[in-house]
Amino acid sequence: MTGLTRRGLLHGGGAVAFAGVSLAALKLPLFGVSGAKQVPADCRATDLSDTEKKVIVSNWPAYIDPRKKSTSTASVFTERTGIEVDYTDDINDNAEFFAKVKNQLGSCQTINRDMIIMTDWMAARMIGLGWIQPLDADKIPNVHKNLIEPLRNRQWDKDLKFHAPWQAGLTGIAYNAAKVPEVKSFEELLTRSDLKGRMTLLSEMRDTMAFMLRVVGADPDKFTDAEWSKAIDRLQEVVASGQVRSFTGNEYIQDLAAGNIVACEAWSGDVIQAQFDNPDIKFVTPEEGLSLWADNMMVPNLAEHQANAEAWMNYYYEPEVAAKLAAWVNYICPVEGAKQEMEKIDPSLVDNKLIFPDNEDLVDAFDFMPLTDQQSQQYEGDFNDVIVG
Amino acid sequence: MSSSADVAQERRAPARASFDGLRLENLTKSFGAFTAVDDLDLDVPRGSFFALLGPSGCGKTTTLRMVAGLETPTSGGITLAGQDITYAKPYKRPVNTVFQNYALFPHLDIYENVAFGLKRRKAGNVDAQVKEMLSLVELDSQTRKRPAQLSGGQQQRVALARALINKPEVLLLDEPLGALDLKLRRNMQIELKRIQTEVGLTFIHVTHDQEEAMTMADTVAVMNAGVIEQMGAPEELYENPRTTFVANFLGQSNLIEGTIKGRSGDLVTVDMHGIDVSVPAARSHADGDKGWIGIRPEKVLIGDPGEQLDAPGNSVPGGVVSDVSFVGVSTQYLVRMPWGQELQVFAQNTGHRRIYRSGEQVDLSWRPDYAFLLDASQDARAGAQEGTD
Amino acid sequence: MASTAGTAPVTTAPASDDSSRRRGLTGYVLLVPGVVWLALFFVIPFYSLVATSLYDPGGSVFSGYEMSYQFSNYWHAIQDYWEPLLRSLWYAGLATLICLVLGYVLAYAIAFKAGRWKNLMLVLVIAPFFTSFLVRTLSWKLILADGGLIVNSLQAVHLLGPDGRLLATPFAVICGIVYNFLPFMVLPLFASIDKIDHRLIEASSDLYANPFVGFWKVTWPLSLPGVVSGTLLTFIPAAGDYINAQLLGSPNQRMVGNVIQNLFTQANDYPAAGALSMILMILIVAMVLFYVRRAGTEELL
Repeated sequence: MTGLTRRGLLHGGGAVAFAGVSLAALKLPLFGVSGAKQVPADCRATDLSDTEKKVIVSNWPAYIDPRKKSTSTASVFTERTGIEVDYTDDINDNAEFFAKVKNQLGSCQTINRDMIIMTDWMAARMIGLGWIQPLDADKIPNVHKNLIEPLRNRQWDKDLKFHAPWQAGLTGIAYNAAKVPEVKSFEELLTRSDLKGRMTLLSEMRDTMAFMLRVVGADPDKFTDAEWSKAIDRLQEVVASGQVRSFTGNEYIQDLAAGNIVACEAWSGDVIQAQFDNPDIKFVTPEEGLSLWADNMMVPNLAEHQANAEAWMNYYYEPEVAAKLAAWVNYICPVEGAKQEMEKIDPSLVDNKLIFPDNEDLVDAFDFMPLTDQQSQQYEGDFNDVIVG
Repeated sequence: MSSSADVAQERRAPARASFDGLRLENLTKSFGAFTAVDDLDLDVPRGSFFALLGPSGCGKTTTLRMVAGLETPTSGGITLAGQDITYAKPYKRPVNTVFQNYALFPHLDIYENVAFGLKRRKAGNVDAQVKEMLSLVELDSQTRKRPAQLSGGQQQRVALARALINKPEVLLLDEPLGALDLKLRRNMQIELKRIQTEVGLTFIHVTHDQEEAMTMADTVAVMNAGVIEQMGAPEELYENPRTTFVANFLGQSNLIEGTIKGRSGDLVTVDMHGIDVSVPAARSHADGDKGWIGIRPEKVLIGDPGEQLDAPGNSVPGGVVSDVSFVGVSTQYLVRMPWGQELQVFAQNTGHRRIYRSGEQVDLSWRPDYAFLLDASQDARAGAQEGTD
Repeated sequence: MASTAGTAPVTTAPASDDSSRRRGLTGYVLLVPGVVWLALFFVIPFYSLVATSLYDPGGSVFSGYEMSYQFSNYWHAIQDYWEPLLRSLWYAGLATLICLVLGYVLAYAIAFKAGRWKNLMLVLVIAPFFTSFLVRTLSWKLILADGGLIVNSLQAVHLLGPDGRLLATPFAVICGIVYNFLPFMVLPLFASIDKIDHRLIEASSDLYANPFVGFWKVTWPLSLPGVVSGTLLTFIPAAGDYINAQLLGSPNQRMVGNVIQNLFTQANDYPAAGALSMILMILIVAMVLFYVRRAGTEELL
C-alpha cells in the first residue's frame, strides 16, 4: 500500500532532517548513528488505562466504518467500555510511517500512540526492532479464539504475542473485461502484447517480488539470493521492454477505471470497491498462487493505554463487530464467525470470496519470507533500482 | 499673410510635388470621442527650426508622434520631401526623435546608445561617426558610462546625439528641455540652436514654453485644442496675434472691448467705451462690428492727466493707478479705467519719468501701429492661464 | 542648532560612545532569531545530510551507522544513478526552456497588452496554486488519458498510432513539469517586463530597429534579470521534482527525485540517498553559478 504521495518525500526528508537535529544535539561532531534496536521490556510506560479511559489509534484512511454514527463499531465500543477513542488516519504508507516514527521508537521515546496498524512485513520489522509491546493473551481471548486459520502461525509472530490482524487482503491481478480477455497469470501480465504499456505493477517490493519469484519458479516463503537475482533480472527485462507502464501505490485503481491501463497487479479490497462503479473490472487469483497479507494492530513501546488497546482488539474480534466492519471496508475479514453474522447485515456480501474466502482456498497462499535488516536493505535497493529505471 | 485661407489655397495646389520639407495635410487623430488633432495643415520648410507651441493636451505631442510614426493618423496625410510617409513604419522613416525623458537605453553605454541607429542601418564607419558626434555634444570623455551615471544635461545631449547621428530629414524634439533646471535649459537652448545651424537639419521642437519657442525657432506654430491658431516668425506672432489665445499665450495682452465705427483705407476706427481709437487695417482680425482692441502692456505709455504723450496716439484719459510693482528694469502698473477694467502697463525705468503711486490719476496712450483688433466672438481670457507656466 | 552644536561634544561625548557600543550589541541581539533559524533549519540538516552521505553503507537501521567517511558512496551513487540524474537535468532543462518561451509570451502579453485585465490575468496565473500540487498533476492524467480527447484527436489525425499514448511518456512528464512550474517563470518575467519603459521600445523603433531587432536589442536585455531568476526558479525545483515523473511517467522516465525518495523511504539506504542528494545539490549549485556568471547578473545572487 504505497500511496506514494508528495508527503512521502516531505516526511522522508523531514525525518532525515529531524534525525540530523536530534543526532547532532547528542553526537556532534562525532557523527555516526547508533542502532535503533530496543528491548520492549525497557521501554514500557506505566499503564494508565484504569485512570485515563482513552485509547489513541493510528490507522490507514477509510479503514473503519464512519465513526460519527451512534451505531458505528467505534461508538458502540465507547458506549460499552467507557473508553474514548482518539482515532487518526495518518498512516498512508508503511515506509513513510516508519520514517516518521523511526527516531522516537529507535531511541526509546514515546510516539504518543497506543495502537498502530502496519502491514505484515513492516509489522515483522518493528517487532524485530523491539519497538512493539507484547500483548497480554488473557485480555484478548477473542483474538486467540476467532482469528481465521490462514492468518495464524505467521513466521514472524507465531503465537500472536505482538499483533492481531485488523483486515487482510489478497494481492492478485485486476483487469478490465470490456477491453481485454481474462488475464489468468502473472506470466501473462508480464508478456501479453495487448497489455504492453497498459499494465501496472505495485511499488511495494514484497507484493511484486513475491509473484516475480513464483514466475521464475522460486518460493517466496524461502528463496536464495540466486533466485532473487533471477527474479530481479526478469523484472528488469520486463521493464526495459516497456511492458510496465508504472509502479504504483493505490492510484492504479483510478487508472484502471479511467481506461489508461487495462490490467494490473491489484489489492482485492480496491477492486471490490471499483466493481460497484464498473462491473467490468475483475479480480483474478493468478495461477502462480495467492498472496495473502494482513494489516496488523500492534501496541508500540511506551504506549500509556495498553489495556485499553487490548480491549479494542478484543472487541473487534467479536464476530458481529467484525462483520459490521467488513461490510464497510470490503477487505478480507480475519474473524471466524463473522460470515454468519454478515447474513444479518448484508446477505449479498456473504458469498463474496474476497471478503470471506474459504479456508481451503487460502491454504496455498504464500507469504514473503522474513528478511534480515541487511537482506531487506539489499532487496529493497535492488527493487528500487529497477522501478526507478 | 493677409488671409490665411487664400495663402493655403495658393500654396497647396502647385507646390505639392516640389515642396521638399515636411507637409501635414488634413491630419486628424481621434482617440475614441476625443479629437487630439483636428484637420491639421502644416508645412515645415526644409532646414528650418520649427516650434510647435501650445499648452499641454493641445495635440502637439500627438502631431509629433504621427510624424515619427508612433501613432497612426485617423485621416489625412504626411509627406516628407514629396514622399508619402503617412503609414510608413517608424523604423523606415528618415525621422528621429529626442524624447521628452530621453528614453536612453539603460543597459547600453553612451557609445552604444549613440551608435544604435547607425548599427541598425548597417552604416559603415560607425566608430568615427560616433566619436565625431560625441565630440559635437562634448561628451567624448564619457563614452563608456551608462546613462544613469550622467547628469540630466548630459543625458539630454546623449539623446540629441543619438538622434542627430542618423542625419534624419527631420529631427523631432519632444519637450527635450522640460526636465532641466532653468539655467541649464537656457544653456541647452543656445546649444541646440548652435547645433541646428551647424548641421542644417529640419528641427521640429514641441514645447509649452513660449519663451523657449520664441528664442530658438525661426517659425512658431501656436497650437490649441487640436488646431493651429497661428503660425509665423516669433516677432510676427508676438506683435500681431490673430486670436485672443495667441495674444494671451505669447506674453501678456490688454484686451479691451470696442465697437467698430468704420474702416477707411489703412485704418479701422473703433469706439472704445466712448473714446475713438484707431488700429491699422493689417492688424485688424475682426469681421463683425464688435472687437477686442489689443495692446501689449509694454507698448502702453503712462503719464499725468492731460500730459501730451508720444503723439500721434490713441489717448485714453481717466485712469487711476490701483497697483504698482517695481521690478527693477521696469515698473508694472495696474490702472483702473473709467469703464471698470484694469489695464496692465509696463514702464521702462529709463529715469526720464517718475514712478506713479497707487491712487494717482493718470492718462494712458499708445501708438495705433502697436494695437491689434481681434474678433469679439473669441474668449478674451483664452490662453491666459496656460501661457504663464 | 548652532548653540546646541557648540555644547554637545562636552556633555554627550561619553554617553554617545556608550550608546554606540550598546547599539552595536543590539544589532547582534537582533540577529539571533535569524541565526538560530538558519542553524536549526539549514546548517544542522545540511550537516546531517553531509554526514549521512559519508556513513558506512554496511550499516542499517538495526545496527546503526558508523561514520567511516565513505567518499566512495558518491562514486557508487553516480555509477548506479547517473541515468536518472542526467535525465532529471535534461527534463528540467527542456521544461525550463519551454517555460521560458511560453512564460515570456504570457508575461509580455500581460505586461504590455492586457490593459485593464492585467491584474485579473496575474491572478489567473497564480490561481492554480490555490489547489494542491498533487491535484493539479493528477488532472493532467485526465487530460492526457489514453481514451481522452487529446489522444483520440491525435490518433484521428494519425499523429499518434492506434496504440500510441501520451501518458507514461517523457512528453507527459515534461508537460507536467512545464505546467506546474510555469508560474515560477511568469511572475519574475512579468515583474521585469512590466518595469520596461514602453518609450524605450518606441525609441528603438524610431532608431531604425524593426520590431524583431528592437525586441532582441532592447526588450530582451532589459528583461534579463527576470529571465535569469525565472529560469532558476523553474530549473532548480524541476530538477529535484519527482511527483510529475511518478504520476505521469513510467519507470523509464523516473527522475533523480524519485530515486532519492525511494532510497530514503523504501530502501532505507540512507548513505546512498544522502550521497545522491548531495550530488544533485552540488550539480545544481555549480550549474547555477556558471549560468549566473555567463548571464552577467551576479547582482541577482
